[in-house]
Amino acid sequence: MIAQEQKPMEEILGYLEGKQKVVVMGCGGCATFYHTGDKKAVNEMAEKLEKEGKEVLTKIVMPLGMQACETEKCSIFLQKNRSAVENCDAIMVMSCGDGVQVVTEYTDEEMGIAKEVYPVNDPLGLVGGGPTKFKETCQSCGMCELGKTAGVCPLTSCGKGLMNGPCGGVREGDKCEIDPDKDCAWVKIYKRMEKLGKLDAFEQMNDPHEWSKMKRPRLFELEKPMGMMDMMGAMMNLNTISGYMSMMFAKPPAEEEEAKKE
Amino acid sequence: MTDEVYSDLMREFKEGKYVFTGELEPEKAGNVNEPIEMAKELLGLVVACNVTDNPQSFAYVSSLAASYKIQKETGMECVYQLRCSDRNRMALLSDVLGAGTLGIKNILALAGDHVSLGDTPDAKPVFDLDSTTLIHMIRKMVDEGKDLGGNEIADPPKLHVGGAAAPGAAHLKAEVGKVQRKINAGVEYLQTQVVYYTDVLDKFFNELGETDVPILVGIFPARTFGQADFFDKYVAGVDVPPDYLESMRATKQIKDKEKKKEEVDRVNIEFFTKFLEHLKGTPAAGCHMMAVGYPRIIAPLKKVME
Ligand code: SF4
Ligand code: SF4
Repeated sequence: MIAQEQKPMEEILGYLEGKQKVVVMGCGGCATFYHTGDKKAVNEMAEKLEKEGKEVLTKIVMPLGMQACETEKCSIFLQKNRSAVENCDAIMVMSCGDGVQVVTEYTDEEMGIAKEVYPVNDPLGLVGGGPTKFKETCQSCGMCELGKTAGVCPLTSCGKGLMNGPCGGVREGDKCEIDPDKDCAWVKIYKRMEKLGKLDAFEQMNDPHEWSKMKRPRLFELEKPMGMMDMMGAMMNLNTISGYMSMMFAKPPAEEEEAKKE
Repeated sequence: MTDEVYSDLMREFKEGKYVFTGELEPEKAGNVNEPIEMAKELLGLVVACNVTDNPQSFAYVSSLAASYKIQKETGMECVYQLRCSDRNRMALLSDVLGAGTLGIKNILALAGDHVSLGDTPDAKPVFDLDSTTLIHMIRKMVDEGKDLGGNEIADPPKLHVGGAAAPGAAHLKAEVGKVQRKINAGVEYLQTQVVYYTDVLDKFFNELGETDVPILVGIFPARTFGQADFFDKYVAGVDVPPDYLESMRATKQIKDKEKKKEEVDRVNIEFFTKFLEHLKGTPAAGCHMMAVGYPRIIAPLKKVME
């Protein structure tokens, strides 16, 4: 998922200088997950803007599963609020940059309404982990190298994106030169290769990464889009239900330890 | 290593001489007058001088321009330090061709510190190549007359490429594995990060095992307490011994300038004589003296190795 956090209010208000009427729009995808585009976040943002003297023409809340970055879904909500979109001075989108741009493109090119569209959030990358701590582990480089590096991404997990072993700056405790809070990816790769009995490979040079696989903007075409039935089928699964149930009843790790002691 | 010898530095390695190199630092200025003056003082004391490339990611005069000017105006052979932090593979290739054109005979290929550590932290870090692939590229250019994509180079550059090693790395085995990659990629000599502890060095040589690649050990006799303290605090992978630091700190109290100089020299000569005596029993091929702005210390230290 795409992690994100809200921009400082100062920056948001800076965009709105001299503008009065705004539309605040959320996103039912990652932004809902990270509390930066869900119903509560949209309401709070609208309130803050009103306190600053702005007039919020409408709040567009997209429920979970309705992502701002998918034109088909996004368009339903924009069309429903057409008059607010037409009459506002700016649309504030609480999603990642994808969502903001889908809104920009759709309103301009499909609805024929050229409006100023501003980002409320700063996206922080493709992350894995959770439930509270996440880590950026992949930058979708288009040519995955994980098979050469024991499953640790050298381009993303290494602060310098090096392809051939640790730099000279690894800190005490195998931490990264750039940030002592982060682990050195290359020491991690070494330790993984050691466990897998593949240390011989650690001394072999990897070729430079093929950045030609990342000619931006990358376009991507799906032969067959995911239909409603496919989606229902994918979600209505006993394993999904049991998965959510066990997440619901799982104790936080600390409590589990306590329970074991008792 | 190829059999070709393009530089005095490589000639001394081949002849089995105990090699001494120095270091010059271009600054944030529109000229390289200071390093030129330093180079003049180092002539005859060292066979070549490294010319630093944006050290610690502080942006200074281009190392290539500085290397060329210093070499031309003083006759000091330069080791052009080249970092991957600031250039993609095209720019690196252009600069290596440029170096050949300008008569540079040695390149030290480095990954480089991350830009966020220096004085231009908002710069986009590049790291398109790393030190190993840069070494590989340079060897391919020189030996095969081809670039990374296999395109022909007319009149390929004639120069040697060295690489760095960090004996004090937090994870020595991973560091040595990376050094092996550089050796496999064809590095022609290695220069270590500054070392103060002989046991750190011994462990490194032990872990590395036998190699034909000559290794220069980096030492840093500090001219002031501040320099030593900076290394201890800010340079990754380098610990300065507390005794040495204390002796250097004590020199700050001396009011008389000449006496202070004498005492600084005495502290350095005492500490490094022991270190260099130890070096005689290691596979080191020589010493890289990172004594920036402190040329008077080199002669007495060289004497230890005679
Ligand atoms: S190499 Fe890294 S950035 Fe590229 S696809 Fe694999 S995990 Fe993602
Ligand atoms: S310390 Fe490790 S993770 Fe950090 S930049 Fe160096 S090699 Fe990469």
